[in-house]
Amino acid sequence: MKSVNGELLVFWSLPVVGLIWVLAFLTFPGFVHPMSPTMTAEQVAAFYRDPGNLPRIRGSMIVFNWFGVALIPFLVLIVMQIRRMAHRTPVLAFCFLGCVAGGPTLFCMADLFWLIAAFRPERAPELIQLFNDLAWVTFTGQVGFLVAQSVFLALAIYLDRQPRPVFRPWVAHFNLAIAAALAPAAFVALALDGPFAWNGLLSFWVKNTAIAVWIVVMAVVLGQAIYRQRRENGVPA
Amino acid sequence: MNTAATQTLAPMPASAPARGKRRDDPKLELWIAWWVTIAFYNIFTIAFFILSRTQPPPKAWWHLPRIVQWFDDNHFGILFGFAMMFLIVGFSIAANALIAQSMRRMSVSPMFAYSYLIIYSLAGVPGMLLTCIALTVGAMRPDRDPKLLSLLYDMGFLSFSGTMGIFLIGSLVWGIAIVLDNNRVLPKWFGYMNLSNALTEVVVAPCVIFKAGPLAWDGSIAYYINMVIFGIYTGAFIMLLRNMIMREDFGSGVLPVLEKPPRR
Repeated sequence: MKSVNGELLVFWSLPVVGLIWVLAFLTFPGFVHPMSPTMTAEQVAAFYRDPGNLPRIRGSMIVFNWFGVALIPFLVLIVMQIRRMAHRTPVLAFCFLGCVAGGPTLFCMADLFWLIAAFRPERAPELIQLFNDLAWVTFTGQVGFLVAQSVFLALAIYLDRQPRPVFRPWVAHFNLAIAAALAPAAFVALALDGPFAWNGLLSFWVKNTAIAVWIVVMAVVLGQAIYRQRRENGVPA
Repeated sequence: MNTAATQTLAPMPASAPARGKRRDDPKLELWIAWWVTIAFYNIFTIAFFILSRTQPPPKAWWHLPRIVQWFDDNHFGILFGFAMMFLIVGFSIAANALIAQSMRRMSVSPMFAYSYLIIYSLAGVPGMLLTCIALTVGAMRPDRDPKLLSLLYDMGFLSFSGTMGIFLIGSLVWGIAIVLDNNRVLPKWFGYMNLSNALTEVVVAPCVIFKAGPLAWDGSIAYYINMVIFGIYTGAFIMLLRNMIMREDFGSGVLPVLEKPPRR
């Protein structure tokens, strides 16, 4: 019973954490009008040297560094629901669990590349551009763990063979759709402009919107599942 | 109450909706993990050996103009091949999950399965993605300063070969579990074969020092011998896991041997 109360604490922290993510996202000057990969090294260096930008770059990336990892407890709540599904082995829960740390770890690497680029803006512009490239390619292209965890979750839902499944089948279809929406961003480095570029329609807008929609929708269905679990265990909701 | 522990091997409800035979196959989740493993290793091979030409690796002793030329020659292959790896890296977890499941079926502590799952699940980040990211960033701007291209080249190949402890300790964890197991889930010889895979990570260590010769990242010892051992090891465990799934009885004692030739 107490363990489920702890789950509710983590679950209801999500709106607060989500708000922090949105504010950090809007604070980073490279996201509001996403930086173009076609900027020259001098333009990239000027972006970091701009006294109006520098504190916002550092502040947003410090906050992201603190709170990006807060996604992991939320994902582990999903693992707990996968363990309740009518599977014969924990193999699909292991698949999802193995993916859980991948996304936030890679995001943390991108975050550090941005902070390193901002650390000494007086450095040679080519070096600042190098770390800016590393940051954007890592941030944008590293969708693999998110894609795989959505697909593993969809498979787990499809194989939840019980009269009242933990998640309804549409949640599985939804996860496959999100995986498809995230996929094009992996090809970010193939183009410096157009929809695949890191500031493009597919790689920036569709991918980041898909992540946000996924978190919101999964939070709703997860909350329903947790409260249903409490009722079934006889805990007053 | 720990629902996770009690429901792991919950019996399938007899009234499960029949939507066709395949979906009702109780081993389907295991077969999915196995087939995803097969697909992952095939795409990995295409991306690294054929598209990006990063395997077998180019030379550690090359000078700047040759490195710049290598990025030029393989521009599209690197960008496209590694984009595929960015997309599918998470599916490498299926093999780890299945291997963890093999240890859950053994008579050993669950500690082995969880250790292996955690160790190997992040292996892809330093051991593969960092390589892909560094070489992708190198290839995406061919006009970058050659000195920086050379830095990315070293970063790429050293992180690939130089990520050693994950595979060293991970192989030992699995090997020890197999040797200790009383349920005969996997053969003992394969437990000892894990030691050979662990040893490749010892032999590869000098690649962080030597820029030429058999111990460099492209050398006969650090690369070719290790790749042969890794190939045999991977082929062996893929077949042994297939065999394990066919023998799976969802019980907890000794895993039965196959009585008749496999039908699959």
